Amino acid sequence: MSLDQAGPAAPAAAGPAPRKPGRQSGGAAGRPGRSRRSGRWWTPWLFLAPALILFLYFKFIPMANALTMSFQEVQPYLGNKWVGTDNYATVLQSHGFREAAWHTLVLAAGQTAGSMALGLALALLMEGQSRRLKFVRSAAFLPVVVPLAVVAELWRIMYHPTGDGMLNSLLGMVGMGPSGFMNDPDTSMASIMVTGIWRGAPYDMMIILAGLTSVDRGLYEAAKVDGASRWQRVWHVAVPGLRSVFSILFILAAIRGLRVFTEVFLLTNGGPDGSTEVVMTLIYKLGLEQNRLGVGAAGAVLLFVATLILTVVVQLLRRRESK
Amino acid sequence: MQRSRWIGAGVLASTLVLTSCSSGPAGVDAKQDSKAPLELWTRTTPGGPGEQGALKLATAFEKKTGYKVEVTAIFDDFETKLQQRAAQKNLPDIVMNDVTQLGAMHSQGLLREIDLDKIKDSGQIIGQGLDSGKSVDGKQYGLPYSAQASALLIRKDWRQKLKLDVPENWDDFAAMAKAFTTRDPDGDGKQNTAGLAAPLSTKRGYASWYFSNFLWAAGGDFITESGKGTYKPSSATKASVEAMQWFRDLGCKAKAIQPGAVTMDTPPTNETFEAGRTGMFVVGPYLLPRFDETLGKDKYEVVPMPKGPKDATVLAEGGSVYLMAGSANQAGQDAFAGFAVSAEGQKTGMEGETGYTVQLPVNKTVDISQVRPDPRWKTYAQAYQDSGRYAPSIPNWTPVRQATADTVNALMADCGLDTGTKLRELDKQLADILDEQGIAAS
Repeated sequence: MSLDQAGPAAPAAAGPAPRKPGRQSGGAAGRPGRSRRSGRWWTPWLFLAPALILFLYFKFIPMANALTMSFQEVQPYLGNKWVGTDNYATVLQSHGFREAAWHTLVLAAGQTAGSMALGLALALLMEGQSRRLKFVRSAAFLPVVVPLAVVAELWRIMYHPTGDGMLNSLLGMVGMGPSGFMNDPDTSMASIMVTGIWRGAPYDMMIILAGLTSVDRGLYEAAKVDGASRWQRVWHVAVPGLRSVFSILFILAAIRGLRVFTEVFLLTNGGPDGSTEVVMTLIYKLGLEQNRLGVGAAGAVLLFVATLILTVVVQLLRRRESK
Repeated sequence: MQRSRWIGAGVLASTLVLTSCSSGPAGVDAKQDSKAPLELWTRTTPGGPGEQGALKLATAFEKKTGYKVEVTAIFDDFETKLQQRAAQKNLPDIVMNDVTQLGAMHSQGLLREIDLDKIKDSGQIIGQGLDSGKSVDGKQYGLPYSAQASALLIRKDWRQKLKLDVPENWDDFAAMAKAFTTRDPDGDGKQNTAGLAAPLSTKRGYASWYFSNFLWAAGGDFITESGKGTYKPSSATKASVEAMQWFRDLGCKAKAIQPGAVTMDTPPTNETFEAGRTGMFVVGPYLLPRFDETLGKDKYEVVPMPKGPKDATVLAEGGSVYLMAGSANQAGQDAFAGFAVSAEGQKTGMEGETGYTVQLPVNKTVDISQVRPDPRWKTYAQAYQDSGRYAPSIPNWTPVRQATADTVNALMADCGLDTGTKLRELDKQLADILDEQGIAAS
């Protein structure tokens, strides 16, 4: 669907708004017809079965196991003991978990906002059809496809905490530093955040670029004719046109941020002085290093619930907005 | 459509309930089959010399006894992978891993008790080695196949260039660390070296593991036995605080520990020594083959740890054979454990120039100088015999090591923290851990 069809006045509603009446009318008028057309009730289930079986064994059963384990003291060879909500109480009363939850929120918020802002800036800079731009876009997208272990090693080298480290020599040129970066509890969180933004921004850029193609060029021209500056055209034409893209990006980035693990694990393992401990690294330590799988599972369930709530709230807000 | 939804949801819910309720003990009394191949996991780098050593040991065992062994080498996240197999109730038959993993595995019921009467040559095992495989109730759950203790590695060429003597005490040690940091020992005109290499990340409790060499030599401790198998926290005693302060000054004041140590585990720390970025390293003998190859045998020397305020106690560790629960071939498990500690098994494990499965022998009848004439190994054997100290045998050492590692890491990362306050906080944590394990002194 293009913006011409949707009408320039309500670009944000372009996605969900026309679908909803369609769904309603289909539901009301089309239901008897569809049941006649679709034949046996199990036909769709048959087509869905391969995917469902895979999901069942690799997602839903482990999830159910984690839920069960969160109420148990897990001892596979001695027999698990049912401990009720003790594991949840242990997790929630633990100072370490509250700290880790706060760090996770800070990191998720920082990485989400940073990636989206940088992604938007990159997308605006690289919008267009030129062949050169395609090459630059591909180059900019590289951080997303580089394995995280490599990214972590790369940034470990760049963050070398002495004056001859790569980033520290740059800081030295402007009379600053040297910074400890991820080795200093005061700067470790920001260092991890920057790494996350560096990796996440190109991903956001690609989605925003796709979104920008649906913004009617005529609107830019009209705004230009009306005397809008470049910045005003971005703010009043492009950004509103990307509202639905932003909300999807927000959900994806926030979930990614809440579940952040690999870069933290590889770069700092939650240190120094616990300054970068996030929920996932804590769950890993509790469950797999200290062998308290039940407590770890309780932490994982809490994280899942938080992610679910966040997703549902954002979806509800989107729906309300689109109405 | 409504009906189909309900059926789908019902099937899914039933499956989830059925699959998540299978939590009873399983596999402990597996049907025995003496022909079943033994699955052996060893904590070493896949494809590396350690794996070759384990394969050599397994082959010698197969040849002698007729049992079949399948060796799997895992280094990264070994315990994680073991937990995953435990969750599936399908453990390997034998695990060769650090002695300090005993409590963590035992408390989860992953280990089978070892009947020493069924282990041939068990009477030849060194006393302190045998004790390291006992749980707090005195039962044998691990059998040591290799021992090690810490000694000090020094860049010999740097020491000679700066005309320094081998350190005899902690003052000499600190002076050498400072000289290696400030006096350009590699002669490249830049201040790009540090005195001491130290893995101070919290991963696997490395910071605690490393610091214990200094803590114990100062007469300090993490926890102290106070009779009848009970313990009390002792990380805030005068000796412990002084040891921490001295070690901290090496990093915070003298800047003599490698930059970035607080986020480094062992591999990057090893690299600092072999790349000529650090000049001293307190470590076990397992790195000698690696450093001989990468750095050169002539570039560094192995000396005993200098005496601390109290003595020269160093961390003794090593590897144990663990017989895992649920094995279908318990006779094979016993036979392997017996072979690993026998004189023949020990010598087989010590063969070669790089793939040592056995660092220092645990069998009294095996003399290291006969198998390895290199005097550096004798230094390690002497350190183990005279000054080696294992972590105490409590139900689960892992939480103690993790909590202490967190504190050491914090104090080394943030030079503004108050040592005494932080160690008193650690004492409280340790008290909780001891209480949880039922071994707190009243």
